[in-house]
Amino acid sequence: MAEVQAGGGPTVRRMLVGAQLRRLRTEQGITREQAGEAIRASEWKIHRLENGQVGFKDRDIVDLLRFYGVDDPADVEALLAMARDANTPGWWHQYGDVLPQWFRAFVDLEAAATLIRTYEGQLVPGLLQTEDYTRAVMRGARLPEPAEDTERRIALRLMRQTLMTRPGAPHLWAVVDEGALRRPVGGRQVIRAQLDRLIEATELPNVTLQVLPLRAGAHPALVGAFSILRFPDQDLPDVVYVEHLTNALYLSKQEEVDQYLHVMESICVRSAAPDKTPEILGKILHEE
Amino acid sequence: MTNSSSTPHDEERPELNTGFPHTARVWNYWLGGKDNFPADREAGDQVRALIPEIVDSARADRAFLGRVVRYLVGEAGIRQFLDVGTGIPTANNTHEVAQAVAPECRIVYVDNDPIVLAHARALLSSSREGVTDYIDADARDTDKLLQAAAKTLDFSQPVALMLLGILNHIVDDDQAHGIVDRLLDAVPSGSYLVIGHPTKEVHGEAMAEAMRLWNERGGTPIIDRSRQELARFFDRLELLEPGVVSCSRWRPDPADPEPVEVSEFCGVGRKP
Repeated sequence: MAEVQAGGGPTVRRMLVGAQLRRLRTEQGITREQAGEAIRASEWKIHRLENGQVGFKDRDIVDLLRFYGVDDPADVEALLAMARDANTPGWWHQYGDVLPQWFRAFVDLEAAATLIRTYEGQLVPGLLQTEDYTRAVMRGARLPEPAEDTERRIALRLMRQTLMTRPGAPHLWAVVDEGALRRPVGGRQVIRAQLDRLIEATELPNVTLQVLPLRAGAHPALVGAFSILRFPDQDLPDVVYVEHLTNALYLSKQEEVDQYLHVMESICVRSAAPDKTPEILGKILHEE
Repeated sequence: MTNSSSTPHDEERPELNTGFPHTARVWNYWLGGKDNFPADREAGDQVRALIPEIVDSARADRAFLGRVVRYLVGEAGIRQFLDVGTGIPTANNTHEVAQAVAPECRIVYVDNDPIVLAHARALLSSSREGVTDYIDADARDTDKLLQAAAKTLDFSQPVALMLLGILNHIVDDDQAHGIVDRLLDAVPSGSYLVIGHPTKEVHGEAMAEAMRLWNERGGTPIIDRSRQELARFFDRLELLEPGVVSCSRWRPDPADPEPVEVSEFCGVGRKP
């Protein structure tokens, strides 16, 4: 089995190349429109390149760098190498058949993040699920697919979890609604084993788990689950991830990230302190 | 752990107020962090427009924290810290620096901002040999603060009192001295007081203007203090060399013996 790549796969490498292109352009006071003209493309194309939303052609990179006044061949070659690297497939490539297009970027981003903040209202966060819990969730979804595809999905999720124990692992700061912990996904045995797993996880130095109690009542995140990912490179903005049934949103505009960050801070403040979590989980185990 | 049992259970809980700048988040912004909101960035930019070196000042303050904690643990033998005004966790927080030298160090962080406390509790984790605790208290409420800290710290043994960027929020001089006195009364001989504080000594009118704008924007009010005013906090103590100086110049790394002065001054004193 392959390992989760450090550095985060193509999405993040594209974002990094894009962030550098943006910095070089703005340092020269060049507009996106002017840059577009230099490579016979639209302003929109430059926008997408700089946001890491599309792959790079060597010729575009060379022309843009020349236009931005970067003429040291070593500098040009370094960025070209990074751009080519960004076009190579990620570790999850082998799961391409069961990995929806809209989820691929998340798998890359998650592996590159230094801090993953997540709120889950219905489920245990994917990175902390037991195999049986995952299987129960996937069966519960009643996907119209052969059983072996479901098993491959489970294998993919377990693969994703390896990132939490590799060197340089990200810090996962999760807020989970108490309701999610009381839902008997997979039946009593499965949920009990899952709660035990969560208690163990709280001992990991890179896992912070807070429980948002039912008695908190209405709260700012009731609308649904989301994650905020932070990256080691300060040039990269935080990315908010919101998943829907058939698609996902990736938000990185400052105003949007601000709103989600505010909600995340609000629910962290409303949730029980992290050192209370083992006790709360133990109590739920005892009651179920 | 103290104070964390009071999980709110009503929907009427006041919303977090991120509409006004908060020092911890503005510092986070200056240091390149992303745990800040528009009001913090606007205030931060406004100060930076007046004092472009403010970012160096914030960095110099963090570097000073590292040097002084290494000195206190490595040379002065301190194993207990009471860090008032924690701020949003960044790299090289007090317990990380202290426990890197002596893993058994015990650190109590005190803050009264809910976001700062949530981040501190989530992200500042102690070495296995040592302890970290987080107290939700106002610096003015020294009784509550000391009582809660006593669950983790042994006040019969020396303690380093870390007051970085906190006394500038205590605008009234008598009140500021009262806090320092009560904290010093609670710790034995051989304890240390560390103060970091903004001053007009370096940037003069620009700093006065920056503080006036800050206070107008509705952040918690702040005040600058002069070198002499800061030295008075150490009247009862043996003030360590080089005295009250720009925090960049407090025992700087030998590689950079005369760093540029910044507008954050500091002093370190030992209780005789």
